[in-house]
Amino acid sequence: MAYGSVVVLEDIDLTVAAREVVALTGVNGVGKSTLLSCLAGFLSPAEGTVSVLGGPPRDNQEFWRSVAIVAEQPTWYPGLTVRELLELVPMTHRPVRGWCLPADELVEIFGLSARADASPLSLSSGQRQRLSLAAALARPSRLLLLDEPEQSLDAGFRHELAALLRDQYTASGGTVVMATHDLEFAMAAGARIVPLSEGRIAAEADDEADEADEPEDVTADDGITGSVS
Amino acid sequence: MTAQLVAVTDDAPPRVATVRAFIGRHRRRTWLDWYATGFALLIAGIYLADILASPLSRLDGQASQAAATHTAALQAVTGAGLVIGAGAGLLLLAQALGPLVLSPADSSWLLLTPLSRRGILRRPALSAAVGATLAGALLGVLALAMAGPYLRRASINTGGGSLPGSWLALSAVAGAGCCLAALAGEAIAQPGKRARALVRAACAAIAALALAGALAGQGSAAVIRAVTAVFGGLTTADFTTAALAAVALACLAWLFAWRAMADFPAAALRSDSTRSGRTLLAAGVLNFSLLFWIAEDNHWRGRLLRSRPWPTLPPAMALAWADWRRVGRRPGPLIVVTVASVFPALLGAAFTGRAHGYLIAAGLLAGAMAAGLQGTTGARRDMDSGTLRRLLGVGPGQVLVARAVLPALLSTAWLALALTVLCALGVLGGWWWPLLALAGPGVAAGVLRLARTAPVNPADRGPDLPTGNTPPWMISRYFSIAVAAIGSYPLLTAVIHGHASAAKVGSQFLVSAVVLGIYLMIASATGR
Repeated sequence: MAYGSVVVLEDIDLTVAAREVVALTGVNGVGKSTLLSCLAGFLSPAEGTVSVLGGPPRDNQEFWRSVAIVAEQPTWYPGLTVRELLELVPMTHRPVRGWCLPADELVEIFGLSARADASPLSLSSGQRQRLSLAAALARPSRLLLLDEPEQSLDAGFRHELAALLRDQYTASGGTVVMATHDLEFAMAAGARIVPLSEGRIAAEADDEADEADEPEDVTADDGITGSVS
Repeated sequence: MTAQLVAVTDDAPPRVATVRAFIGRHRRRTWLDWYATGFALLIAGIYLADILASPLSRLDGQASQAAATHTAALQAVTGAGLVIGAGAGLLLLAQALGPLVLSPADSSWLLLTPLSRRGILRRPALSAAVGATLAGALLGVLALAMAGPYLRRASINTGGGSLPGSWLALSAVAGAGCCLAALAGEAIAQPGKRARALVRAACAAIAALALAGALAGQGSAAVIRAVTAVFGGLTTADFTTAALAAVALACLAWLFAWRAMADFPAAALRSDSTRSGRTLLAAGVLNFSLLFWIAEDNHWRGRLLRSRPWPTLPPAMALAWADWRRVGRRPGPLIVVTVASVFPALLGAAFTGRAHGYLIAAGLLAGAMAAGLQGTTGARRDMDSGTLRRLLGVGPGQVLVARAVLPALLSTAWLALALTVLCALGVLGGWWWPLLALAGPGVAAGVLRLARTAPVNPADRGPDLPTGNTPPWMISRYFSIAVAAIGSYPLLTAVIHGHASAAKVGSQFLVSAVVLGIYLMIASATGR
């Protein structure tokens, strides 16, 4: 995987089981976001294959019904309030089948009750990040791709978010792949740590522990497999 | 915290129209928004009408052989070249922006959803088509106007006394059809990198050929004869054929584009929408820093640079040298700006009458500023941050003076080139003109100020002016342009009145020195 002459990822071989949380870690510029972009189908590897939920990322209605992504800060509709935005998201995913949270509950869980009727433009950067994450959970999905979800979030809420992903999202069948710099957050979310170094996967520190914790009902159709170079 | 399995209440698949209606219902527009939009359109219309009045006036009046003078012939050839070049330029611009793009908010909330891709793209496609239709119709009418006297002669040959009104309508239809077809082609090519590169190369080649043709027409009687002979032989049947062919081509191209929209890749749409959203926002608020940042980011991403040691120069000059190195590392924009130095002369040759001097003056000021801005990367990027200065142990004033040299030289060189071309093509007469390039340092003051303007803070509110609420950073940017205009005032007035003299050159020298000197003093003292 390269941007022009700059090779970003090389010899990546990764399998993510269904209902697993995987955290891609590594220094800035190591290729975490690029790998997420490959999984979302935004980028195609120069060599190798990527299989997400049973096939290559297809960029069609079915794929986006199953995959939710929180990457860079979204742009907000100037006229919509926080609550209205959270109502808009399920509207774009009808019929809503599967685990997700209604707008009122999301507002409460993500600590936005006091700002529910405010424009997202008036929120602080941390509140906007909360709203972005809340929007991803306002619709059903089977795979959640998160690019540095912890940024701008306070330590307390990071733990709440980690618990939500671990106890509710994955418990209801979802899989999470995230790029993060916060190992504590990743551990709290029960994530398997996949460290990237110089565009490759470095040795996983706790391979044995991961194998022991691996979910039982792993099938290729639910998770992610792929090798990228 | 309790999770819920949300009940399925509506099995209907999502419809884009329903979603857009929901967003539209909650959009809170005030009368001031409508007023500002209306005012902007009104002002744009007035300026456009003023510029177009001159060429369009050639379509009026009685047919006469006398109209077909050498000057009119030159205007026809140059004008035709400029119209074709403008069309290719607009297509290049559309290609650089998309042409199919969503608003940044739509891109964030509607694109990566199960909503129909074609449904999402319907509105932007319609907007692009309307824009292409208007621009194409305008270019079609302009092309007709440029060839006015010759068309009137053709009209006489076909038995008419004056220019048939149907020609005007058919010309507009042909222009609109061509633009629509080209835009649809660009939309089809948008997802493919190679296809985009091909479209870009084709548009650039057409623009270059048109420009070369317009330039060749200035000195070649054969080119003038050939082009005017074509204009002089046109008939209503020719116009009808061209209009019908253009419409058929446009329909076919949009049919293919419409089919392609169903599977339009999200990745291309997402990156194009983000880039065009930022670009349009930056252009709308004169945020040149962001525009340059976007261009530089696009250029350097994916390229590897070889690090070089800092030169053994005094600290202030070493910092300024970085700007010279940047220009050397990425000379493309400077080459484009240099080639653009022929535009004031071509505009002068193509447009006649009242707008003549103002257009050339505006072109000279814009070109000199664009050239100067190429050498202000350091000031723009680090905003004269004290960190690097402290590291090198140098004061802000010294750095600013050292950094003023390159933009002053670039503006001066560009003006000298543009004025020489204006003289060589006979638009301006006399040998004093190239010396008025001494306006360069005066322009550089405004350019440096513009580059050093603080980043845009959208939260800032300013006074309510007739144009709506105008935040301070916008006023500051307009003021920078005003500084450049003041610094080149003798040159601009000389061009507007068409008269240059030794006194003008002398006053320009003084004004440039004073404006740049005062700016450097104030900026060094206040750090602004």
